[in-house]
Amino acid sequence: MKLEIGNFYVKDIVFGDQLSLRDGVLTINKEEALAYIREDERITEAELYIAKPGDKIRMCPVKEAIEPRIRPDGRSIFPGYTGDLAKAGEGVTYALKNCSVLVVGRHWGGFQDGVIDMSGEGQKYTYFGQLNNIVLVADTDEEFERNEQQKKNDALRRAGHKLAEFIGACVRDLTPEDTEVYELGGMIRRDADVEKLPSVVYVMQPQSQMEEMGYNDLVYGWDMNHVVPTVMHPNEILDGAMVSGSFMPVSSKWATYDFQNCPNIKALYKEHGKTVNFLGVIMSNLNVALEQKERSALFVAQIANSLGADGAVVAEEGYGNPDADFVGCIVALEDAGVKTVGITNECTGRDGQSQPLVTLDEKCDAIVSCGNVSQLIELPPMETVLGELQALARDGLSGGWADDEILGPSVREDGSIIMENNSMFCGDQVCGWSPKTMKEF
Amino acid sequence: MKKAIVYVNQFFGQVGGEEQAGIEPQLHEGQIGPAMQFQKELDADVTHTIICGDNYMGSNTEEAVDRILTMLGGKEFDIFLAGPAFQAGRYTVACGTVCKAVKEKFGVPVVTSMNSETPGVDMFKKNMYIMEGGNIASKMRQDVKAMARVANKLLNREPIGSADEEGYFPRGIRHQTWLADGKPASERMVDMLLKKLNGEPYETELPIPKRDLVPIAPAVKNLKQAKIALVTTGGIVPVENPDRIQSASATRWGRYDISQTEALKGGVYKTIHAGFDPAAADADPNVITPVDALKVLENEEVYGSLHPYFYSTVGTGTTEAEAQRMAKEMVPYFKEDHVDAVIMVST
Repeated sequence: MKLEIGNFYVKDIVFGDQLSLRDGVLTINKEEALAYIREDERITEAELYIAKPGDKIRMCPVKEAIEPRIRPDGRSIFPGYTGDLAKAGEGVTYALKNCSVLVVGRHWGGFQDGVIDMSGEGQKYTYFGQLNNIVLVADTDEEFERNEQQKKNDALRRAGHKLAEFIGACVRDLTPEDTEVYELGGMIRRDADVEKLPSVVYVMQPQSQMEEMGYNDLVYGWDMNHVVPTVMHPNEILDGAMVSGSFMPVSSKWATYDFQNCPNIKALYKEHGKTVNFLGVIMSNLNVALEQKERSALFVAQIANSLGADGAVVAEEGYGNPDADFVGCIVALEDAGVKTVGITNECTGRDGQSQPLVTLDEKCDAIVSCGNVSQLIELPPMETVLGELQALARDGLSGGWADDEILGPSVREDGSIIMENNSMFCGDQVCGWSPKTMKEF
Repeated sequence: MKKAIVYVNQFFGQVGGEEQAGIEPQLHEGQIGPAMQFQKELDADVTHTIICGDNYMGSNTEEAVDRILTMLGGKEFDIFLAGPAFQAGRYTVACGTVCKAVKEKFGVPVVTSMNSETPGVDMFKKNMYIMEGGNIASKMRQDVKAMARVANKLLNREPIGSADEEGYFPRGIRHQTWLADGKPASERMVDMLLKKLNGEPYETELPIPKRDLVPIAPAVKNLKQAKIALVTTGGIVPVENPDRIQSASATRWGRYDISQTEALKGGVYKTIHAGFDPAAADADPNVITPVDALKVLENEEVYGSLHPYFYSTVGTGTTEAEAQRMAKEMVPYFKEDHVDAVIMVST
């Protein structure tokens, strides 16, 4: 399978008459884009903003991030979600780089939503603080979940994915500045000099904990709670087969942007043929019941063995309950003779003294650690807030609180905030960006 | 100028060797022994030196600590330092004990230094900065410098780096930190993967503590003849807690005669365990230490006989090393009485 991602680098974003990309300047006709968003009758209120690195902007509650893309041949960029089912991972996709569409609730947030700062001390806590962002701030008529702590955010998230495709369309007939080529043929009968290298699989554990549909990550539009682990081509993940969900404390989340650009997959691709024989991806999940966890671990180990994998990398999109899947999967792989590295974040508490994962096993002897979800973060007021900052305190965001007898409320009258890392939007970057680690103090 | 006070033992306090190890705590104005080098290295004035014999501290711990705290009562100081203690076992325990008490009483930062092979490390590393020190006194200059470096950061309210950066024993605290080179997780993953695949050494970013599992003993063959002893980590003691067992992070244990007791009565026994709601155990201590049921079963000749004492300590926060030591101290009593099996009651 061969995927060509044609890159267009966005250096600036402005509003103007016609949607276009010229000399690195992305121009968006705001009214046209908003009219497109409002085609979904559930959207009651919508506005677009631009947020660039260095801007004095804080966003909250952030719900999703998507890289704007288009497929010149007319296939949808999220098959089975924004358009008809079609093969992902093959052919040509165009991408607007250094750029993302962010979806922010106009008023209401939930457990799974987060914060992004574009400048100051808070900027480094998310990957999106360094990107040029098109920010959709909107509200919906989804009354059934307005006051729910867990929100599906369906109308808003779909609006973001559609907007990413709408904006991506401006490069349909242009020539990309450069092209990344991802090509990986069948797992067997590869060149002899590749086959002599240790073979490796990447095991992904995307979020699938909700029994009710509408919250979990999707594969080609199918709920990850309803799958047993299966083999996927890495190109499918890089090309829109996976769409992020709306469930986990958000520092652990993999945004759709993270799937589209998954650094762990790209890093293994880079080593392919040099130091490893990258076989492909085993797509697992993170269901809640113990039997489901054990079943998934059995499947992953069996598939890895059947494929003849010497090594594996396991990454989890979550912490707490999912730690059992993460540790269980690594143990199953090690027991099956597959040398395994894990990538995760930790929950050591505000004082750093709690057990880092819910369950531990000595067989997990090679872990890359990306952060502490419960680290306390205090940030000064920001000139501009997109969305409604009070959501952090009021709406049960995983890292915020209405009041605390020692710390006071998460959102103070002057606009300064105190929160746990838990609510930094995709902050722990277990998908591979993370410049953070954990150390003993 | 900020102020510091230094604790040393009889040897480094220049009183004498082992023959002087019994001396009582004494407070001197100015600097004696290592305190002189601290005076040079610290961003503070070392106003006093406290000297105490290691044996005196070891065998009269509570009194020694009380007297030291009293001596410090009227003094102004911003930091308290003890040692360096190198590989001297008793001295390391003394340094940890005094530092912990001073930190708790006066709320000032404390720093000490010990070699990794000493008992003081496991006992106190969670309570304070213990610098990883040398094994012999010739490392004095280097160890004092290391202590002073961290002490100066504490005095100047500068952030203290991670354990490996600063050279102290990890205190059981894990925090997130930004890597100086910004190396992303994906690249760290590839490095670790290649090393693991190629059988080369690598360093995990999340060390999993080794579990020291004890195999479950085989069943007692002849229960009718067996002598059974009862041990608890639930903190059940006579109400006056005669052995002064700590309510958490215990280092002490006691054994109590139950040869004439048919059941543990509330008001006579209680729990001093700080890790759970004591109401049920105080009302009926047998729920944690089932003397009542064992006496009934003894009378019914279900088993041979009950060892005449029960043994008690507190499990919460207690280190594995301390738990092992306490168990080893209990074992001779069981052997002496030919105990065949022990029932270990947790909470």
